[in-house]
Amino acid sequence: MEFAILIMTILFVSLFQIGVPFFVKRTVVFGVTIPYEQARHPKVMHYKKLYAMLTTIVAFVAIVGFFIWNQANPLDETKLVLIGSIAPFVILLTGLAFYFYFHYKITKLKKAKKWFGEVKQVRVADLTARAKDEMLSSFFHFIPTVIAVTLIILSVNLFDQLPNQIPTHWGPDGMPDAFTDKSWLSVLNLPIMLIVLQVMFFGINFFTKRSGIKINAGNMKSSKLRQLRLRKYTSWFLFVTNILMTLLFAFLQLNLLYENLFSHALLVVFPVGFTVIMLVGALVLAVKVGSVDSDLEGKLVVDQSGKTKTESIDEDRYWKGGLVYFNPNDPSVFVEKRFGIGWTLNFANPIGYFVLILPIVLIFVFSFLI
Amino acid sequence: MISLNHALDIPLYRQLSTQIMESVVRGELLAGDTLPSVRALAGDLGVNMHTVNKSYHELEAKGIIEIVPKKGAVIKAKEQKISTKRLEGLSDEFRPIVVEALINGMNQEEIYMLITNIISKVRED
Repeated sequence: MEFAILIMTILFVSLFQIGVPFFVKRTVVFGVTIPYEQARHPKVMHYKKLYAMLTTIVAFVAIVGFFIWNQANPLDETKLVLIGSIAPFVILLTGLAFYFYFHYKITKLKKAKKWFGEVKQVRVADLTARAKDEMLSSFFHFIPTVIAVTLIILSVNLFDQLPNQIPTHWGPDGMPDAFTDKSWLSVLNLPIMLIVLQVMFFGINFFTKRSGIKINAGNMKSSKLRQLRLRKYTSWFLFVTNILMTLLFAFLQLNLLYENLFSHALLVVFPVGFTVIMLVGALVLAVKVGSVDSDLEGKLVVDQSGKTKTESIDEDRYWKGGLVYFNPNDPSVFVEKRFGIGWTLNFANPIGYFVLILPIVLIFVFSFLI
Repeated sequence: MISLNHALDIPLYRQLSTQIMESVVRGELLAGDTLPSVRALAGDLGVNMHTVNKSYHELEAKGIIEIVPKKGAVIKAKEQKISTKRLEGLSDEFRPIVVEALINGMNQEEIYMLITNIISKVRED
């Protein structure tokens, strides 16, 4: 069972990593901005295909290797999970190494061809875009908080009846494999962490909503559609994540409060179901967003009227290595990722650190106190 | 649609005000419509919030928009007839441009033509 989940995850990560250049915005190739009309330049397409081929080879070797290794001398559970969890990171890191190589290649190509030499560079915005924004309300993230609070009340009431050992870690089979002494902190750990997470989800949604809807002047229609879809579907994805997290934490906490409440089968099925729903959600998100304003969209409408081409301003200087956004002028906290689907921080905006890093620090401090 | 160009000599906030006014002229923005918040529009454009703020204040001073607490920048209804004060203000702003056109050898007819062209460009676009 674990083997199947691991292979599925590795396969999923691999396919995603191979496909990235084809479902990111076509005006940003390996983290380098290029004019819309050059999106189908033969050299650009050649580099993308080369990247995909190299990543496929690495992923293939990793998956087959993992398979054969397990067939030849079946690994024990811990080793299997360990290797199976490292494999996706190996694929991600080699993908990143290839990314940097082609980032360098495209930067050189862009310079040699002087692509932004003759275009008029502007910044564009649609005043009506916000009326079409379909992001969920940020306050939705506090609906599951009712469950977290209920768990706290329940735990406080049952505190005296609990055993002296409290589980703190659960194995892949859903059984606890690490324990700690009973205290208020260890009993309430899960629901409090859950509330911290829900506040973080609220913050992410809230500040994403306030971040800019970036439109590309070279192809306003599809770039706007992509931004609106990204906003809508990531906010749904975040909400589903919140619900699943709440269910998982509630499940673990109830299992802690009432021993043997759930059957052993459920203990296994639950985390698997969790993983499957998350993978399906990520897939839906990738398809909905990745099919717009990317190579997958197909058509490339280039204005042939001969007048000076208009493009969005080349913002590469704000993107360190094409991946890290640092723009003190932009009040946006989150901006669309350049290599992958989703959002990345504007590192020049301190609010971002509060929203993401503070909750993580809190959770870490908490786990150390126990 | 707003489009700002760094290469022009006109400051960004001025370009922004002009384009919002053009949207009103074209009927894309109607009286009672709310403009995006300063932060939102600055985020969309990727410019400093001061730029948008300055532009909104300029539009407020010109009587194009009204800053309503909790609602934001709202487009004001067009006045039936231009006030004498506003007419004087416009006259003062036109004057140096007209003088420059005359010095460059344009005659009255050509200046009329130029203005007619600009009007049709703004309206059609």
